[in-house]
Amino acid sequence: MTKLFCAAFLTALLCGNASAQEDKVLNGDAKCTACHDENDGGVLLIGKTKHGTRADSRTPTCTSCHGESDTHMKKPAAGESRAKPDVTFSKNSKTAYETRSQVCLTCHQGGSRVDWNMSAHSNRDVACNSCHRVHAANDPVRDKWTQTDTCFACHKEQRAQINRPVHHPIVEGKMACSSCHNVHGGTPKQLVRDTVNETCFTCHMEKRGPFVNNHPPVQDNCAICHEPHGTTISNLLKQRPPFLCQECHSSSSHPSQAGSLPNGRTTSTSLLGTVGRGCLNCHINIHGSNSTENKATAGRFRR
Amino acid sequence: MMKPIFKLTALSAALASGAVWAADEEDPVKELTKPESSVSVGAGYWNRDRPRLGTYDGMREKGAYGLLDALINTRDDRTGTWFKLDARNLGLDTREIRADWERQGNFGVFMEYNRTVRDEPYTVFTGVQGIGSTTQRVPTPSAGSLGELHLGTVREAFGAGFSKILSGGYDFRLSAKSEDKTGDRLWGRGGAAEFAAEPIDSNIRIVEAVLNYTKQALQLQGGYIGSLYTNHNSMVDTALSSGASPFFLSLPLDNQAHQLYVNGGYNLSKDTRATFKLSYTHATQNEQIPVGTGIVPASTAPTHLNGVLDNTLMQVGITQRATRDFTWLASLRSYDSDEKTPQYRVVGPACPGCVDTTPLRIKTQTGKVEGTYRTPQSVSLTGGLDLVKTERNIPVGDPNPAGFDNQRYVPFRSEVNETTLRLEARRSLNEALNGRVQYAHSKRDGSDFSRGNEPQVDLINPVYLADRDRDKIKFVLDWAVSQPLTLTFNVEYAKDKYGTSDARPYGLTDGSAALFSLDAAYAVAENWQVTAFYTRDQTKATQLGQRNANGGAGEAVKEADLQDIGDTFGVGLRGQLMPKVKLGADLLYQKNVNKYPESIALTGPGTVFPVSGAVTGAPLPDITNTLTRLKLNATYAMQKNSELRFEYMHELWKTNDWSWMFADGTPFTYGTTTDGTQVVQAPKQNADWFGVRYIYRFQ
Repeated sequence: MTKLFCAAFLTALLCGNASAQEDKVLNGDAKCTACHDENDGGVLLIGKTKHGTRADSRTPTCTSCHGESDTHMKKPAAGESRAKPDVTFSKNSKTAYETRSQVCLTCHQGGSRVDWNMSAHSNRDVACNSCHRVHAANDPVRDKWTQTDTCFACHKEQRAQINRPVHHPIVEGKMACSSCHNVHGGTPKQLVRDTVNETCFTCHMEKRGPFVNNHPPVQDNCAICHEPHGTTISNLLKQRPPFLCQECHSSSSHPSQAGSLPNGRTTSTSLLGTVGRGCLNCHINIHGSNSTENKATAGRFRR
Repeated sequence: MMKPIFKLTALSAALASGAVWAADEEDPVKELTKPESSVSVGAGYWNRDRPRLGTYDGMREKGAYGLLDALINTRDDRTGTWFKLDARNLGLDTREIRADWERQGNFGVFMEYNRTVRDEPYTVFTGVQGIGSTTQRVPTPSAGSLGELHLGTVREAFGAGFSKILSGGYDFRLSAKSEDKTGDRLWGRGGAAEFAAEPIDSNIRIVEAVLNYTKQALQLQGGYIGSLYTNHNSMVDTALSSGASPFFLSLPLDNQAHQLYVNGGYNLSKDTRATFKLSYTHATQNEQIPVGTGIVPASTAPTHLNGVLDNTLMQVGITQRATRDFTWLASLRSYDSDEKTPQYRVVGPACPGCVDTTPLRIKTQTGKVEGTYRTPQSVSLTGGLDLVKTERNIPVGDPNPAGFDNQRYVPFRSEVNETTLRLEARRSLNEALNGRVQYAHSKRDGSDFSRGNEPQVDLINPVYLADRDRDKIKFVLDWAVSQPLTLTFNVEYAKDKYGTSDARPYGLTDGSAALFSLDAAYAVAENWQVTAFYTRDQTKATQLGQRNANGGAGEAVKEADLQDIGDTFGVGLRGQLMPKVKLGADLLYQKNVNKYPESIALTGPGTVFPVSGAVTGAPLPDITNTLTRLKLNATYAMQKNSELRFEYMHELWKTNDWSWMFADGTPFTYGTTTDGTQVVQAPKQNADWFGVRYIYRFQ
C-alpha cells in the first residue's frame, strides 16, 4: 500500500511539475510528455517527422497546436473525466474545422496554400487533419503510393474510374491525385495549374500548339472529349467515335454515319467511323495539324 | 483500398503505421522518435502475359521480375540535416529514385530519375515497313506475311532542384526536369484508313523558380515556369510500297511557354482574408513547317507559323467570418487565352477549298459568391451563386471572300453564359452521425450561332456550346453505427437537358449521371479489421442526329441512347493471425457495361446501314469489361526489424470490346488492297502472381 501511494504521489508530482522533466521529442514538450510518453500510443512518433526536427527553430511544441490546455492539465474532480486539450484533432473532435486548420495555417499559409481559404475543401468542412496524419512517421497522403486511400474516402466516383481498363497510371503508383490537383488551391477543380489545359500540358506538351490547323475544342478544354480519371475507351475518351464526334459534328457526308460495324474489309469511309480508331482512322491529327496541303488534309486533321 | 502488389505495400504500410521495434532496447523513446529506413528485396513471377493490366506496370509479359525498393531516411539531430533516398521498383522497367539532402530550416537539394512505360495493350500484325521511322511504306497483299508488332512508349525523366530559406520571411525554390519520350503508338495514314504508327521521339523540359514571402498577415508567391517541347520528328512520309498514294503526315512542332505569376493572400483581420493571383503566359510555336516532297504550298502559306498564344489570369477573392455563425466568400476570375498567330491563307488562293488560319481567343470570366450560416441546431446552411461568361472570338476582317463560315464544320457561338445556384445543408447530428445534402441548378445559354459551311452543319447544338439546364443533387451520410462498425452512404444524381429548336434539333438532347456508394468498416476483433465498398455509377445520354443519303444508306433521323454502367465491389481484410504472422486480403471486382442502341428511322430511299460492295454495317452490341483482382499476403516477422512477406495475386480481365472487330467477331483488317494489317486484343487475361520479399528496417 505504501508503495502504491508513493507511486501515485510520484506520478502526480511528475505530471504536475513537468518543468522538472526533460523534453522527449519536441522542444518544450515536457509539460505534455510527462504523461503522454512512450507508452501512449504513437504520440512520440512525431519525432520522426519534420515537425520533430528540434534543430530547426521553427518547429512547434505540443501546445503550439493543441493550445495551453490548462483545464486538461488539472486533475479532474472525483467522478469526472479529464477535460480535453484546447484543440484536438481526433475524428470526434469538438474543435471547429476552421480552428483546426488555422492551427496549421499559422505556419503553413504561404506557398501553394495561399488560396486555401477560397478552396472547395476549406469551405466544405475539410480540415488539414481530415487528410493529414501529423504524428505519423510517414503521412500516407503525402506518398503517391498511398495517397489515393485518403482522397477516395470522399471521392467515390474517381475510385471506381481509376480501375477502368483505360486510366492514368494511378493504380500502378506512377501518378497520384496531386500530380494534377493542388488540393489546397483555389482554382476551379483545384488543379496544379491555372486551367485544365495548362495542367494537361505539363505532360502532354505536344498538344499545346498553336498549330497551323487548330481544333477549337482542343484549345478550349481537354475535358470536353477526355475523362482523365478513367474510362473503357482508348485514350481516355468520354465516348466512342462516331458518337463523340457527333456531339458537335453534323454533316451531309460520312461524318453523320450511324454507329455500326462492317462485316468485312472495306475502304468506305461511311463504314469506318466506328471500328478501329473510328473517325480517327483517317482524322489522325485530331489535336491539331501542321499540314499545308490541300483542304481535305489541312482543315480536317488528316495530315 | 485496392493496391497492386507491386506497389511496395509492405514497406509503405509498415512505415505509415509507425511500426516500432526494439533496435535499441535501452532507449524506447529513440525508437519512437528517430527516422527509420527500410530495404525490401525479393522476386516475383507472373505465369501469363497481361497485355491490358500490364499497360503501365512494366510487367506485361509472363516471367520473373526482381523486386527491389529502399527508403533510406536519416537525420542528424544536432544540425537537423536530413538525407532521404527513396528508390522504388528498381527491379522493374518502371524504376524511379529520388535523393533529398536538406538542412531543415536552411536549404535543400534533390535529384530524381523516373521511368514510365506504356505498353500498348493491342498486338499489331502488319506488313507495314519502317515502323519506328519517319518513312513508312504500306505493302500491297503480295508483299508477304505479317509480322507481330508491340507498340509502346517510354518516358524517362531526370530532375533536380534546390531550395533555400532566406531571412525576413523569404524562401526560394528552383527545380528543373527533362523528360524524353520515345516509342510508337497506333496512328493512321490519314489519306486513307490504313495503318501507320506514329514515331515518338520528343523531349519536354520544365523549369520552375519560386520566391515565397510568408508573414503572419501577408503571404506572397512569385515565380516563373518555363516549359519547352522539342520534337525530333516533324513529319512522316508514307506511301504504298510502289510509291503510289504518298501522304505526308505532320507531327507536333517544337513549342515553348514562359509564365510569370504572382499569388498572394493578406489577412485583413483575424476573420477576413483577401487573396489574388496574376499570371501571364507567352507561348510560341515557330518551327519550320514541314512540306512533303512534291507538295507545293500556296504562295501565301507561311514557312514558319510564328504562332503565339498569350494567356492572362487575374483572380481576386475575399473570405470573411462576419459573425460567429456566418461566413461568406466572393471571388472574381478572368482567364484570357488569346491566340495572336498571324492570319495566313494556308491553302488557296481559290475558294471554296481554301484554308486560312483562324486564331481563336477564349476569354472566361467567373464570379462566385457563397455564404454559410450555422444555425443554433448545428446545421450549416450554404448558399452559393456562380456566374461564368465565356467569350470565343475568331478574327473579324475576314480576308477570305468565301468567309470563315465556309471553312467551319461546326456552328460557332461567340458568347456562352452559365449561372449556377447552389444550396447545401450539413449537420453533425451527433458524434456518430454526420450528413449533408447538396442541390445545384445551372442554366447555360448564349448568343446566336454563326453558321457553318453547309446547312447540315448548322442543324446541331455543339455539346460545349449548347444551351443546357443541369440539376444535381448529392446526399452523404457518415454513420458510426457502433464502436466497431462505421458506414458511409453516398448518393448523387445529375440530370442535363440540352436546348434544341426546330431550326437546330440535333446533338445531345438530355443526359443523366447517377452514383450510389456504400462503404463499411468493421473491427472484428482487436487485431482484425474488415472493410468493404460497393459503388454503382451510371451515365446516360440521348443523342439525335440526321444522316443524308450516304454510302448507300438512306436519309435518316438517328437517336442513340448511350449508357455507361459501372459496378465496383471491394472487400479487404487485415489481421494478425499469430504474434509473428500478419495476413492481408483484398478483392476487387468491377464490371462496366457500355450500351450503344441507336434507332435509325429512314426518311428516304436506301438501306439502314451503308453498303459497299459485299460489305455492310451492323448494329453495335453492348460492351462488357470485367475485372477481378484477388490479392493475398502473409507477413512473417523473422525478427523485430525484419520480415518475410509472401504475396499472391490473381487477375482476371475479360472484354468483348468490338473496337477492333468486324461484325462477326473476327479481327478488323485494314483496307482491301493493302497488306491487311490487323490490330488484335486478348479478350481474356488470366494471370497469377507469386512473390516473396525480405524486408529489413533500421534506424
